[in-house]
Amino acid sequence: MVLEATMICIDNSEWMRNGDYSPSRFQAQSDAVNLICGAKTQSNPENTVGVLTMGGKGVRVLVTPTSDLGKILACMHGLEVGGEANLTAAIQVAQLALKHRQNKKQQQRIIVFVGSPIKYDKKMLEAIGRKLKKNSVALDIVDFGESDDGKPEKLEALITAVNNNDSSHIVHVPPGSNAVSDVLISTPIFTGDGEGGSSFAAAAAAAAAGGMSGFDFGVDPNVDPELALALRVSMEEERARQEAAAKKAAEEAAKQEKGEEASSSRDAAMAEADQGSSLSADDKKHQLTDDEAALLEQALAMSVDNTKSGSGAIADSDMSDATGNDQDLAFALQMSVQDATQSDMSKVLEDQSFVSSILNSLPGVDPNDPSVKDLLASLQQKKEENKPEDEGDK
Amino acid sequence: MASVASSAIQRGQVDLVDFVDWSSVECLNQSSTHSLANALKQGYRDDDGLHLASDADEQLLIYIPFMQVVKLHSVAIKGPEEEGPRTVKLFSNKEHMGFSNVNDYPPSDSVVLSSENLKGKPVILKYVKFQNVRSLTIFIEDNQGGNDISIVQKIALFGTTVDTTNMKDLKKIEEH
Repeated sequence: MVLEATMICIDNSEWMRNGDYSPSRFQAQSDAVNLICGAKTQSNPENTVGVLTMGGKGVRVLVTPTSDLGKILACMHGLEVGGEANLTAAIQVAQLALKHRQNKKQQQRIIVFVGSPIKYDKKMLEAIGRKLKKNSVALDIVDFGESDDGKPEKLEALITAVNNNDSSHIVHVPPGSNAVSDVLISTPIFTGDGEGGSSFAAAAAAAAAGGMSGFDFGVDPNVDPELALALRVSMEEERARQEAAAKKAAEEAAKQEKGEEASSSRDAAMAEADQGSSLSADDKKHQLTDDEAALLEQALAMSVDNTKSGSGAIADSDMSDATGNDQDLAFALQMSVQDATQSDMSKVLEDQSFVSSILNSLPGVDPNDPSVKDLLASLQQKKEENKPEDEGDK
Repeated sequence: MASVASSAIQRGQVDLVDFVDWSSVECLNQSSTHSLANALKQGYRDDDGLHLASDADEQLLIYIPFMQVVKLHSVAIKGPEEEGPRTVKLFSNKEHMGFSNVNDYPPSDSVVLSSENLKGKPVILKYVKFQNVRSLTIFIEDNQGGNDISIVQKIALFGTTVDTTNMKDLKKIEEH
């Protein structure tokens, strides 16, 4: 959100006809310039941006610093490629244009796109850099296109001469399919030293890069918030359902193997953590009966990851043993799942004192906690409900 | 009155530091660690450990606007023997000068500082040129030893205000 006046120096020399950036160097540069103008004007409405060309017949100022984005984009039309870029003159003209900015409170910044070879030597560039620093003008350089020997070093020297408190940056864009604008988006040139512009950058990244947005579901929350939200919610619901199913299955399997102790502790933990699960356990079981053995094993494996209580560790090893003995056991589990109603669990829960002793042993559980007491009461109720159901079944 | 010559204020003159408009004060080519406040602000400027230093080369361009119109009588610039300023040009009421146009206008006054001045003795200016000062630009062209960096420990401006009567002055007269 820094108040800034920026002059962008565009390279429109003959070297920009080259096609090593798609569609051509000049096009890539224009896109980058458009993006930068947008970002600057968005980050602070009072920011002004001006544009000048370095090549052609000579340095020519296309538009003096203005906050009117339309004017800036319009002047980028119909630019011709030709001539040679005069870097030193361009920087001096840019400095002059900034000096005569209307709002003297704006910080001065020059952004230079260097796509052609530099014919000046390091000393001259350093002198220019010092002059810029003296007048507190920040400089950003985008080094792309031609990379003859010495060009990166010369530009680095220029940046070090200008740099004051890291306000000046240089970006080297190697040739390739990456557009210059994409590379620039993540650099401080765009984000303005880390502040502002980043939301614009994110939106631009989504637009420019198409499907490669890097968001969770390939959908940009900015573009389509409802869809993104719906996708996220359904993913979480599925995950929760699978976890509960896995826990239930794990509990059943553990009972088959060990005894009631492990499973009840797991049970208590499950009841503790997942109050609604016992109610919906019936539904889960029916679903499980329909699944294949492989899915059941997967659920068991997942439940091994999801243990919470201390004694659950014992159940863990039992679990892994259980799955180790696999096929027969899996089949047995499946059958048990089909047969059993809530009877097993309810028998355990019936023993109120047993449950409370388990709860006492669990770390972090205070039996006097009102929520725990409510839970115990509800479990007792359920036990009473299940009793007649059991009688009915048997 | 103070016995030491360096801190004596001319009779009737006031230290103008109270009338400086701090929000618009600017200094070109200052080093980021040693900034203008060290030399100008009350408290900081008297601490000899804090100073204003130049950055890329030895020149400094200081722009000081005032909150009201003042008459400038004298200025005291303190600095070290070698790196302290030598040639100082003062411009009255010129906004936003740059290093490129310092030589375009004749200065309102131009001073060459001696080592006595550098110890704090105020330099009396051409009072007639500074009758109606809204802003002051101080251009430090070079330093005593010809070094790459100029160092200034204190800049104090003395004068009177034009519009309002200064209460401090009133009290002084009453004492007499």
